[in-house]
Amino acid sequence: MKFYFALWLAKILGVAINLVSKDRGTNLPGEKALAIDPSFVKNFKNIDYSKVIFITGTNGKSSTTNLVDHILKENGKKIISNIEGANLLSGIATILAKESTLTGKLKADYFIFETDERYLPLVYAQLPAENMLITNLQKDQVQRNGDPDFIYRKLKEVINPQMTLILNNEEPRSRSFEESSYRSVYYGVERHDESFNKGIDYPTQACLKCHHDMVFDYYNVDSIGAFHCDFCGYASETIPEYQVNDINFKEKTFKLKGVDYNMPYDLPFMFYNYAGALAICQEICDISPQKAAKAFNNFKNIGGRFEVLKYKDKTIKYMRIKQENPDTLQSALNIMAFDKQEKMVALGLYTLVDFIPHYANTFYAFDCDFKPLIDSKVERYLCFSEHVSYDTANRLIYEGVDKEDITIMDSDNIKEIFAEIDKAETNNIYLITWISTFEKMKKFIEGGQN
Amino acid sequence: MDMILKIGWLFPNTFNLHGDRGNILAIKAEGLRRGYKVEVFQINLETKDFDPMDYDFIFCPPGEIVHFKPVIEFLKPHNEALMTFIENRPMLVTGTSIGIFGEEIHRDDNSSIKGLGIVNLEVYESHVVYGDDLYYHCQYNGNKMEIIGNQIQMMHVEIQEESPFGQLIYGYGNTGNTKFEGARSGKGIFTNTLGPVLVCNPWLTEEIVNLIEVNKGLPVWEEKRDNSLELNSLKTKVALIEKKESKLIKISER
Repeated sequence: MKFYFALWLAKILGVAINLVSKDRGTNLPGEKALAIDPSFVKNFKNIDYSKVIFITGTNGKSSTTNLVDHILKENGKKIISNIEGANLLSGIATILAKESTLTGKLKADYFIFETDERYLPLVYAQLPAENMLITNLQKDQVQRNGDPDFIYRKLKEVINPQMTLILNNEEPRSRSFEESSYRSVYYGVERHDESFNKGIDYPTQACLKCHHDMVFDYYNVDSIGAFHCDFCGYASETIPEYQVNDINFKEKTFKLKGVDYNMPYDLPFMFYNYAGALAICQEICDISPQKAAKAFNNFKNIGGRFEVLKYKDKTIKYMRIKQENPDTLQSALNIMAFDKQEKMVALGLYTLVDFIPHYANTFYAFDCDFKPLIDSKVERYLCFSEHVSYDTANRLIYEGVDKEDITIMDSDNIKEIFAEIDKAETNNIYLITWISTFEKMKKFIEGGQN
Repeated sequence: MDMILKIGWLFPNTFNLHGDRGNILAIKAEGLRRGYKVEVFQINLETKDFDPMDYDFIFCPPGEIVHFKPVIEFLKPHNEALMTFIENRPMLVTGTSIGIFGEEIHRDDNSSIKGLGIVNLEVYESHVVYGDDLYYHCQYNGNKMEIIGNQIQMMHVEIQEESPFGQLIYGYGNTGNTKFEGARSGKGIFTNTLGPVLVCNPWLTEEIVNLIEVNKGLPVWEEKRDNSLELNSLKTKVALIEKKESKLIKISER
């Protein structure tokens, strides 16, 4: 009986929150329902677990979930998914409550859930999905995750021989789960024009199987690329089953299994999301690459990491990175480095404010290679943001940037940031900062300061 | 006179968590500033004829405990040499890797790994992670200094008879219950301070290189580095610490 009370409360809360704001409340109804019935998610009816797909990992899970949801809907499937991004148990509880009947019955062809990797065991305990895609396991959110092995062990708790795994062929940790599953399908990306190498003093990682040094022949995205271990032979496959290839940045197209696709976003980290999504669609949902291809013509990624603002005569290209995550910072640096035009770089790494205690961590910047950016015609650097601007500047100085070429601003004052941007001779401005500062900058422009 | 500084970087690929290569950049930059040639040697599980005494400074970054056993097996034959090394030569060990050099690593699953026993301490893996700023004062090579950095605490460090490396001003430190940060044995520093600690605290880097100079019979470089940028960084991070909300037991109450 408590399930029904929990369900009805969640539904009422969902409707009420929706009346106030359509953008809010992706967790609250589920949280309240779970407080009444801790097994709330387990008690829904008509869920075929072979039709449930978890998409987890460090980076790319939201975009991959969005794309799978989009492709399947475009092909007439009824999907229940958490594309608004609430990826904890309470978020999934919220969406199930919203989509179910008053008696907790669900009707969908597939259930596609982005799942927070840290809380995966809690979600799985109530919703034992038989399919899971692992995007990658990288250094991320160290304040709560510590090191990648901490998360690796969380996933190990869940993965079992009943599962079908869709694995990133070119990410050693993800790929190594192959030995624990019923069936593994691999996806990857062919070497392309923006693949890169890093110097010998940039460490790689230890082999998951024998602890010796792993070698990356190249990276398509930081920490992801063709790899091998000389000691035990553990390696990525040369051509995985689902490989994005023939990437054409100019035409914005690529191929997979001989089918041509339009490329909605020509960002290297998105290529893995394309390959993973297509693997799920074919292997789990029986939507072939041919049928999936047309959905790429009108795909819009929710909450993407790249936005362009017009400010006076300048173009501000904003790239959102994940804090404590060198891989997203490296991707942003690479994008700037591939732009050979004169540019100003405004770098606002920021204090971590996710939870108490807040702290000033920028050490992940030392994992990133700034050299290609520095060699790519940078007129001036602005290092801003309270408490970390000096450390950010120091990272650049250690890479060879002259102190005189950096403006250091121990502040997040929007007007001061724009005043520095105004001083730039170039109109080509790159901006990295957290979403809160960016939103304020956007409002500043929209408020007539343009 | 030998004008080459030789740096041994232990297991850079195996142990690579928090931008630790910044420490190599810092020591190298300081050596170059003083006019030395600096050679960095990466030591991994396949390195033949490893001899700690070949180096002027050794750095061991933090790593995932899952890789500790093979590393300890590799280092075991060099136990005596490492003990001799830290009697006079500087070594920096950060984060979880402290456990490798201690007596025992107690894991969260109740298993344990025997450490090298070079320093008299034991570590206990935590069930949860704690991340925060870390601020303390310490003395190295006869000079007092303040150190600022970050700590991602994945284990408690119980120092037995060893001296702590630092006295906490703010932060978790070894256990969250004591005033101690890390341990010091001879010239070996075993600290929870992660990432580029030598970048953020060039005054420590200078003392390490001063010590190398003494060990090599070289005159200690007198021209001080311009540390104004790092001092400004220290100041603004201390301002953050002073205003931040914290659930830690106050240092005065430990």
